[in-house]
Amino acid sequence: MYHMAGVQLTKVKGLPMKKLFIFLLGAVLLNAREFIGKVPLVEHAKEVHFTGSRLISPELLHNILHYQTWGELFVYLQVHWFRALFFGITVGVLVVFLLHYLIIGPKKFSHSGKGVFVYSVFKRVVHWTAALAFVLVIPTGFMMIFGKELGGGDLVLTARYIHSIGTVLFIVSFIPMFLMWFIPMLPTLDDIKWFLMLGGYLTKKKVVVPAGQFNAGQKMWFWVAMLGGIVMIGTGAMMYFQDFHLAILDRFGLDQIDLIRIAAITHNFLGMAVAALFITHLYMSLFAIKGSLDSMISGNKSEDEVKYMHSSFYKKLKKEGKI
Amino acid sequence: MARMKFYCDEGRCIECLGCAVACEEANELPVGISRRKVVTVNEGMEGQEYSVSVACMHCTDAPCEQVCPVDCFYIRADGIVLHDKTTCIGCGYCLYACPFGAPQFPKDGAFGTRGVMDKCTMCAGGPEPTNSAKERELYGQNRIAEGKVPMCAAICSTNALIVGDEAEVSDIYRKRVMQRGKGVIGVPYGWSTAYKG
Ligand code: HEM
Ligand code: SF4
Ligand code: SF4
Ligand code: SF4
Repeated sequence: MYHMAGVQLTKVKGLPMKKLFIFLLGAVLLNAREFIGKVPLVEHAKEVHFTGSRLISPELLHNILHYQTWGELFVYLQVHWFRALFFGITVGVLVVFLLHYLIIGPKKFSHSGKGVFVYSVFKRVVHWTAALAFVLVIPTGFMMIFGKELGGGDLVLTARYIHSIGTVLFIVSFIPMFLMWFIPMLPTLDDIKWFLMLGGYLTKKKVVVPAGQFNAGQKMWFWVAMLGGIVMIGTGAMMYFQDFHLAILDRFGLDQIDLIRIAAITHNFLGMAVAALFITHLYMSLFAIKGSLDSMISGNKSEDEVKYMHSSFYKKLKKEGKI
Repeated sequence: MARMKFYCDEGRCIECLGCAVACEEANELPVGISRRKVVTVNEGMEGQEYSVSVACMHCTDAPCEQVCPVDCFYIRADGIVLHDKTTCIGCGYCLYACPFGAPQFPKDGAFGTRGVMDKCTMCAGGPEPTNSAKERELYGQNRIAEGKVPMCAAICSTNALIVGDEAEVSDIYRKRVMQRGKGVIGVPYGWSTAYKG
């Protein structure tokens, strides 16, 4: 196209200026008459096909040749692994906890006395916002993964929209939760000891468990939910927006479509970890330790529970004369 | 049974966008959706610039069909890959699985979010009753049912874009390569990916 225009211009150059002017004016007028009504259609098509979109660009042809890399991997994982792993991990976790409940049973602590004040109103509000977000996000995630079994359509489509709404709620709670808890959640030597005895959950006896305000299990959940959560938000956003453009990503030389494929793969694998630990969290707080939910409602934790399950924290409070 | 395939001759396509516009108009596609995309590479590089028109290739063992979490695809005996928009949840997985970037998503869901998937039907409508108003509204024309050539190929002025039974299309391809007297006879653009040979 550009070469053609160039050729014509060099031919025209040799003509006297006046003739050239009349020629150009005539050309403009003629063209205008001829193309009125047609121009917008072509412009519209151009716009749709080229500007802005990175999915529809020369990258598209480039990626046909490179489909083997990420495209085939995504298909392979989605066809053979994602559903099976989600199913296996979820059922596995549920069975382990059911057996734990039946064989070892929940731990009971005395709730007499006023307890130890651990969670301010602010902390409780932040926690319940994040909790609501997960309650929206995780079941709807499962609904999409097992959409076939639910018959698809409006039900699962609505689940997908709720998944996004839950994400917004999670984004809101993310920063305050991170700031209020990241120091007590840092790893300590207690955590190694905690893991060696699996938090005392494998015995019916009340044993003194080495842990600060949070035990190693809680810390694991915190970091998976926070660091994992931010990756889930990022990869989810990539899938949500699809055709975005982040200049910084150009440096990696990835095709846009491959970027979303990697996002989808990451979201699925990390989703398994988040879902598994979320179920664990529910089991611990609702069933494994009777009455532990109270602390997140009233802010007070049973003194007896703190003494055994968070022994280092108990000693520290004692020293500070807070008990 | 005929096996329907597309072939776009990159030696003939002149990037006129006729196919894309004809498809949009004939199938009354939502704003921002174009089932056909004309892509030019090596723009301005002498002897290396070429354009091709890309849409759904109606693949063999279609990857989109394999990954769909709600199983809403079906493949006709003539190889045309179609899907049911009333089952689709617009998750985007088919796009990630597709080698040709064919599936697209109009922003017509709740609150202007991504709605259900749309792609080229080879002008063969969808699962609704043939030529019903609902079929037309959801999927566009069903020209195949009327024995007509799909719109995009029908209007291609250079005959770059052709569609039809694979034996006939392969024949045309071979003749063209021989007439040009250069290049080797392999398979048409995209065929090794779409039809595995
Ligand atoms: C911190 C947790 C999570 C966040 C912030 C998050 C966020 C998102 C977002 C924003 C999307 C894109 C939604 C859209 O395109 O409309 C998405 C997609 C998806 N998520 Fe999650 N998600 C989380 C956890 C999970 C979990 C635990 C699962 C599985 C149990 C899951 C399964 C899925 C699936 C299957 C999709 C693909 C469908 C789609 O793109 O809509 N997600 N996620
Ligand atoms: S081109 Fe893409 S959408 Fe069409 S059949 Fe192949 S994988 Fe499916
Ligand atoms: S967008 Fe629709 S057709 Fe595509 S994989 Fe998801 S549910 Fe299936
Ligand atoms: S076959 Fe029909 S639906 Fe497909 S690109 Fe051509 S005109 Fe559009």
